[in-house]
Amino acid sequence: MVKLSTLYVWAYIVAAVMAEVYISAYMRSSASGYTAISLLATSQATAVVLFYMQLKEEPNSIRLFAVIALMFLAALLAAMIATLG
Amino acid sequence: MMEQAINWLKGWLFTTNHKKVGILYIFTSCYFGFVGAVLALLMRTQLSVPDNNFLTGNFYNQAVTMHGVIMIFWFLSPLAIGFANYFVPLQIGAEDLAFPRLNALSYWLYLAGGIFEIISFFVPGGSANGGWTTYQPLGTSQFSPGAGPTLVFIGWILLTVSVTLGSVNFITTIFWMRAPGVTISRIPMFTWFMFFTIVAMLFSFPALIAALVLLVSDRVLGTVFFSLASIQPSILWDNLFWFFGHPEVYIVLLPAFGVIAEVLQVFSGRPLAAKNVILISTAIIVLPLSFGVWMHHMFVTGVPLALQNVFSISTIAISLPFDLITLAFIETLLHGNIRLNAPMLFALGGIVLFIIGGITGVFLSSPVLDRVFRGSYFVVGHFHYVMVGAAIFGLIAGIYYWLPRMTGRMYNEGLAKIHFIVSFIGFNVLYFPMNLLTDMPRRIFTYQSIGDWPLLNGVASIGAYIFALAQIALAYQVLNTWFRGPPSPPNPWGAATLEWPQVQTPVVGQEAPQGGWIGELNTENVGKEKLHDNLSSRPILLTAGIFVALLGVPYYSSSLGIATILIGLLILAYSVIGWAMDDLKERFVVQDSEAGERWPFHLVSKLKLGMWTFLSSEIIFFGTFIGAYLYIRAASPSWIAVGSVHSIPIGALNTILLVTSGLTMALALESIREGNQRNLLAFLGITFLLGSAFMGIKVSEWADLASKGFLISSQNQVISIAASSYYFLVGLHGAHVTAGLIVMIYLMKKTINGQYTKEEHRGIENFALYWAFVDVIWCFLFPLFYLM
Ligand code: HEM
Ligand SMILES: [Cu+2]
Repeated sequence: MVKLSTLYVWAYIVAAVMAEVYISAYMRSSASGYTAISLLATSQATAVVLFYMQLKEEPNSIRLFAVIALMFLAALLAAMIATLG
Repeated sequence: MMEQAINWLKGWLFTTNHKKVGILYIFTSCYFGFVGAVLALLMRTQLSVPDNNFLTGNFYNQAVTMHGVIMIFWFLSPLAIGFANYFVPLQIGAEDLAFPRLNALSYWLYLAGGIFEIISFFVPGGSANGGWTTYQPLGTSQFSPGAGPTLVFIGWILLTVSVTLGSVNFITTIFWMRAPGVTISRIPMFTWFMFFTIVAMLFSFPALIAALVLLVSDRVLGTVFFSLASIQPSILWDNLFWFFGHPEVYIVLLPAFGVIAEVLQVFSGRPLAAKNVILISTAIIVLPLSFGVWMHHMFVTGVPLALQNVFSISTIAISLPFDLITLAFIETLLHGNIRLNAPMLFALGGIVLFIIGGITGVFLSSPVLDRVFRGSYFVVGHFHYVMVGAAIFGLIAGIYYWLPRMTGRMYNEGLAKIHFIVSFIGFNVLYFPMNLLTDMPRRIFTYQSIGDWPLLNGVASIGAYIFALAQIALAYQVLNTWFRGPPSPPNPWGAATLEWPQVQTPVVGQEAPQGGWIGELNTENVGKEKLHDNLSSRPILLTAGIFVALLGVPYYSSSLGIATILIGLLILAYSVIGWAMDDLKERFVVQDSEAGERWPFHLVSKLKLGMWTFLSSEIIFFGTFIGAYLYIRAASPSWIAVGSVHSIPIGALNTILLVTSGLTMALALESIREGNQRNLLAFLGITFLLGSAFMGIKVSEWADLASKGFLISSQNQVISIAASSYYFLVGLHGAHVTAGLIVMIYLMKKTINGQYTKEEHRGIENFALYWAFVDVIWCFLFPLFYLM
């Protein structure tokens, strides 16, 4: 039996791709458009990680790896952009 | 006779045994230490008197650069990794590392990288000469032309890859391979400190790999990441390099602290004071914070003042746990019953020198003082006190401490004491004057007779010779002990950690007796003494393929270069296929012990733990590239308009294809979880087709873009940098997809063989993770390049 969530996740990601394209066409180069697209992209990635990579079902100790890496990465990105002043 | 020699050679070249690999690491790193030392002595000779012309300016620059690179990356860390290879499995009662062949591969990649560093000196134009920090644009072809620097950077990438594979291996080993009874709280200090080191490696090296790959891409493919002044590439490099570089200083230091902690306990006959405080503060303060101080290396680059304040405070904060550790070390000594054997002398020496080096570091953490000291010999003094003083002295303590364990023989204590005294004096004569040379710029190849410069430099050079000569005693000592030393008792120091033969594995659920688990000879432990000779020729052959292929890269515009690359790729393909066949036919099997302490990973398989460890480093790796792209976008005065170059409909269609392949891969996994082999094959096939379609469309997009003049070589700077970022990042992603497609062929073959079942399908499980990860990256790349 195919898990329905697997299909829903796919449908969501495809819909989000469409939405991104739509937003970029109608809110071209606006800050709010960029924010919306970034949020959509992040939500797609999160869905893949949680469901296709099954992080949802892994123990917390495994999740910790991803969380730590993301924290360090966030520090790097934030400070890097901040150096530009 | 002949056959014996061949078997002996095979036993080393094909070994996957952790002890043998450890010994290979230790000897190889000492060889590179020797090379680094020769470069250092050349420099000190040049600087011994003012206005000297013993070396040319250009060669001095090469020497100063490669001395730093070789000492840090090919000597210090690998020496520690050598000890870790040998002793971490023993200390936790594991048969071997979690992935023995991967471990051998790490070693060979390390060696191959090192060979690149050395041959770089012998190609026309010589080696890299922009400093070990390779501040950009010094490393670009414009300022460092020739094949030499390219070889240096390629070799460096091999090393970083080796380290990343090693990190995955050690983390999995420490968490998953502990013998019953070795609970978290009973992990010995050396293993703990290696663990901290390796976690820092896991998350910091990917940023360095990314930076180096961008640099090599500039040099070889002609991208313009570090040569376009308008995007401030020097700051981009500084950030990436020091994000790695500061954790690196702890990577260098912590293994030595691990050794010092073991030695202090044993030679003061007393458990380490405040052990848990040390462990916890290292884990929750030093490790995370080491990723949040890097900008103290950039105080004078013009970064905003507010940012300087934040990083000045974090730098002072990170020095606090080290005060604590130092105090705990001293406290251990105060009440101890001290024996001053050579390991203890070197450990104590390391602590003293660390205190001096640490104090000079605190000076540098102040942005104001840093304005004065920056780029002077004071900095050189600072980091040699910590890197050579603390780290090397600590590791030499380890050599003496474990030599009896590795050879079964005892070294000469008198000679060892002389070695210590001469080293300690030589070290201070060499480096103390640098603390006073606050007004002399570092990295200059000669100087005029100003003030006390000639005196202090002359003294330092004399110290350098004393220190170097003292190390001959060490080399003699090691070889002499190895071949001729008198037999040593099995546990000469009365240590209580498991790597010593008479120490028993702890009894589950029982408190440790006074002095640890020392008892009658533990037969179980002695049994493990046999080297199980799992030989595999694949790791060395695979490395040979990579080595040959990369050797051709700087010369790819000549037919000889192309031929070299092709030969390398053939060797690589042969060994990869061989490795896959070994697995298919189950020719190299690692038996996992049934039981063991695996908390907090008792619910996951070994392979999955390894895979997630690897993926977490991949997050930083890809994230760094995406970050570099965001930085470039933020720094660029203008960019190409959305929709003007990349076709949004084609991009969107392709995205949907890839996402759908993610779905079918998930379905493939679900099928085999239910034991349905037919559906597994069908879904794998569809995934393969979708992935191939994605790549096909990519290729046609690229051809189209190129014909429209969207090229890296474009005269228009905006197009040139946009094309650089696009081709590079999308190309890198495409390479991952292609690699996935190749692996899928193997998976389908194995499926057809019926080798995946409901119970055993770890290969599919891990590939599904990889494939989904490739999906995740694309979720970001599509909007970043097509829509924003
Ligand atoms: C843990 C052992 C340490 C090691 C191995 C180490 C290593 C280094 C190295 C290699 C550099 C020179 C980088 C270059 O080539 O420009 C450096 C610079 C620096 N270190 Fe350390 N360090 C250590 C501890 C500390 C501590 C405890 C502090 C402060 C509390 C500190 C603060 C600094 C600062 C601020 C600089 C930048 C100096 C400058 O270039 O202006 N370090 N360190
Ligand atoms: Cu630092």
